[in-house]
Amino acid sequence: MYDLIIRNGTVVDGSGLPGYQADVAITGNRIAKIGKIAETADREIDASGKVVSPGFIDPHTHFDAQLLWDGAAKPALSHGVTTIVPGNCSLSLAPLKADHRMRLVGMFNQIEEMPYKAFREGVVWDWETFSEYITRIRKGLAINVAPLVGHSVIRLWVMNDAATERTATDAEIAEMQDVLRECLDAGAAGLSTSYVDMDETLQPVPSRYADAREVDALAAVLSEYGRMLQIVPEFYDPDLTIARLDQLADLSIKYQIPTTFSPLFVNSDNVDAVDKVMKRVDEQFARGARVWPQVQTRPIDISFSFAVPSLLFIRFPNWYRVMRFGTPEQIKAHFADPENRKARAAEVADLKDLWPRLVLRQVKTEANQKYVGQTLAEIAKERGVTPVEAMIDLSVEEDLDAHFLAADMGHNNDDKVVSLLKHPRVHIGASDGGAHILSFSTYGDTGYLFGHFVRNLKTMRLEDAVKKVTSDTASIWGIPERGFLQPGYIADVAVFDPETVDRGVEKFVQDVPGDGSRYVRDSHGVDTVIVGGGIAWSVRDGYQDARGVVLPGARADAPELVAAE
Amino acid sequence: MSDNNLSVVRKSILPRAGDSWASIAERELPKLKIEDAISSLQSWNLHVFMRAPAPEDSPRAGNPILPSDVIFIEPPLAAA
Repeated sequence: MYDLIIRNGTVVDGSGLPGYQADVAITGNRIAKIGKIAETADREIDASGKVVSPGFIDPHTHFDAQLLWDGAAKPALSHGVTTIVPGNCSLSLAPLKADHRMRLVGMFNQIEEMPYKAFREGVVWDWETFSEYITRIRKGLAINVAPLVGHSVIRLWVMNDAATERTATDAEIAEMQDVLRECLDAGAAGLSTSYVDMDETLQPVPSRYADAREVDALAAVLSEYGRMLQIVPEFYDPDLTIARLDQLADLSIKYQIPTTFSPLFVNSDNVDAVDKVMKRVDEQFARGARVWPQVQTRPIDISFSFAVPSLLFIRFPNWYRVMRFGTPEQIKAHFADPENRKARAAEVADLKDLWPRLVLRQVKTEANQKYVGQTLAEIAKERGVTPVEAMIDLSVEEDLDAHFLAADMGHNNDDKVVSLLKHPRVHIGASDGGAHILSFSTYGDTGYLFGHFVRNLKTMRLEDAVKKVTSDTASIWGIPERGFLQPGYIADVAVFDPETVDRGVEKFVQDVPGDGSRYVRDSHGVDTVIVGGGIAWSVRDGYQDARGVVLPGARADAPELVAAE
Repeated sequence: MSDNNLSVVRKSILPRAGDSWASIAERELPKLKIEDAISSLQSWNLHVFMRAPAPEDSPRAGNPILPSDVIFIEPPLAAA
């Protein structure tokens, strides 16, 4: 007698080998048997015509805050993602002294577009240490979490305001090493750092004030545990990216640790730049380093309204300043002023190829509904203005609640992207799940992988795609007992229809605490998602069991966690 | 593969404590006049040179270089 049997599906086991017909039986939290199963179970799923694979692992997310009010990291789980890695880009929510909370919230707001109000109304701040944070998110966890600890946060903990002023002293570096050890003991999957991010005052985040000596010392601690170092390089420039990956490679070899950098994009204006980076990656792997570039599956789409500072305007200082620091009333007043309207239109004039093709995707007034779905070129023609003026006018008329879509902004050369996704030394990731919630949906990258590249373009085998987001990821990150469908492994499973699996249409929903909104995509074609042997989500019954755990988990004798248990 | 088998990439350094354009220019480009060396460094490192200035009351005021910056000490290499 088993607890759960999935019958009649095609098992794609994560190894990359061809799929095969078999039943999968689960007892407790583990896979008990794969093959013809005569016995029955308390619960059975008919997977006829569907693929049964290991649950997907998303190695680059920012669900740190969302996990405080949503242990399923919705809607990631419904897309078949059973394990997430939050805490990327030098930012985690622990360790965090009470005095530093609002400072970190400012960074999350600036970098990840998480609204202040969500923190004010969705978060009870009842932790400081990493182990206390882990204890906190563990309650009601439906998805597995392999959290990184952020370098910026460790720096802030040890150096306070000096974290954004200077390099650390030897004593401070030693203290950071101790703090990192405590975090790793409590269950951190590694350390993240950033060389590009800015805080809410548009000044560099704390990790960027660290010299090479400090990063080396922290890598030495990672070496004691064999854990991951993740960085965000200056991804907009291939020479800078190469310099960073050389730095990482030296650390990887010196300390025998895995490292990863994210993102690596295909630049629309220079599609061959990634070849230069990948040549170096190959050379460094041949040298013995582990420097995994993370490549996302989806093209870059940016949605925006004038109510929040969009990434799209970050290269236009005056425009961005108004959106970043203005209240809604001030923003509206600014753009309603004819002189400002003229000046702002002139400021963005060099992107003349972009504005006409933006699409109006959502408005609130009845009068402007007729324009929804049209390009700014079409709307501008009808109104007798320029596309940028049409965008400004609509935003003012809609009290800033006009939403525009800039689709296919980059990373959209399918041939080049798929050559990267298939590359044996590329790590599929960089979804940014849970971040940039007011710029684009960060959910459904696996649906896009299977729907676009596997099914529609037929440029990738299903088995290879599954391997990339399951066993490869588990192996790269050293996550044991996951990533394969094999007897004895933990039962994290995705059941999906290969003929329909996809990401849904991006939509703007209001489900963030504090009346906040975000862009999301529903899953298509995913039938059932199993975490730790329990049905965590199904298309029929929605969210159910909450059996998520923290990976790799605390050291067995970690004192604070033993007490917390 | 040994280090010697790595292909040639654009030369860069990481700053030393207290480094400025002038100190890097003196150390890394000693054959150039200091003004020319500084000017070259700035043009090769727009990611640092064009950075928004630090607040006046900051210890970094006037020096945009961060301890973690990659600083190129030669122009981009010609395409192979």
